Amino acid sequence: MKHRVGDPIPEWVMEHVSSERMRTMAAILRDPNPLHWDRQAVAALKLGLGERTINQGPLGLGYMINMLHAWAGPGCIRSMVTRFPQVVLDGERVIARGTITALRETGSELLADCDISLEHAQRGVLLEGEATVSLTAPATGSPV
Amino acid sequence: METTFPSQEDIESLAGYQFPGGAYRIAHWENFLLTGCTGADLLPGGMAHPSALFHLPIAGAGTSIAEMFALGQAESDLSIMIESYDWTFFQPLWEETDYQVAGRITSAERCSNAEGKLYDRIQFQFDVSLPAGEPVARSVITWHYTRDTL
Repeated sequence: MKHRVGDPIPEWVMEHVSSERMRTMAAILRDPNPLHWDRQAVAALKLGLGERTINQGPLGLGYMINMLHAWAGPGCIRSMVTRFPQVVLDGERVIARGTITALRETGSELLADCDISLEHAQRGVLLEGEATVSLTAPATGSPV
Repeated sequence: METTFPSQEDIESLAGYQFPGGAYRIAHWENFLLTGCTGADLLPGGMAHPSALFHLPIAGAGTSIAEMFALGQAESDLSIMIESYDWTFFQPLWEETDYQVAGRITSAERCSNAEGKLYDRIQFQFDVSLPAGEPVARSVITWHYTRDTL
């Protein structure tokens, strides 16, 4: 497939951000922050978010990873920087989007630099960043 | 109620702090659950979901989110804001593979936002390698420790 600068990356949609998944993730991460599992703690903040838990950063970031994997294959990500201008809340529908900003060859590898984001239909950009992705065959086997 | 901040000197002295370092192995069950939380199917061949690059280095370096909060004298768990996560993969992460991790605080500084409110910006760097030393990944975490904002 021929890639060009400016090409969009196919969207990846999380139809329903789940508070139950946040609870599981909190246990995996050993993350003590009640914002991820206690709706009352979020409601007590003066942020107007209501009684909704806040998604962990690595989870929202994971939706953008899933978009890149669906597009270029598992193991394709060489680097990614993510910033968090807004929180992601339980119950929301969010869409991962991206665009190729540059293409370059290093050795035998074709790399795509991309702008990436996680967006909400009403609240706009929730997460944003840049990723560098390999467009050559992804890794498929274990290193050991 | 009066709130006391850590001194600027206390915050700046964190730069250069080294975590103990150590090892970490992503268990299959852990990757199964983590991948499911992101809404994806398991990756092929035992490849771990890249989102593991958040907790793998923290645990492997011998620290925890709670300790990282405490080092910056967070007012509470609710007072931490994420500036950015900067991840580099020199190779994919795999389940059931032993990794070595080194971690340190690379910068710590007092800042103020556009409204003049103080916060402390602390940056952590974790380097993940195979036991023989081959680089695997790097995670740079930058958090803001907000002060008197809750």
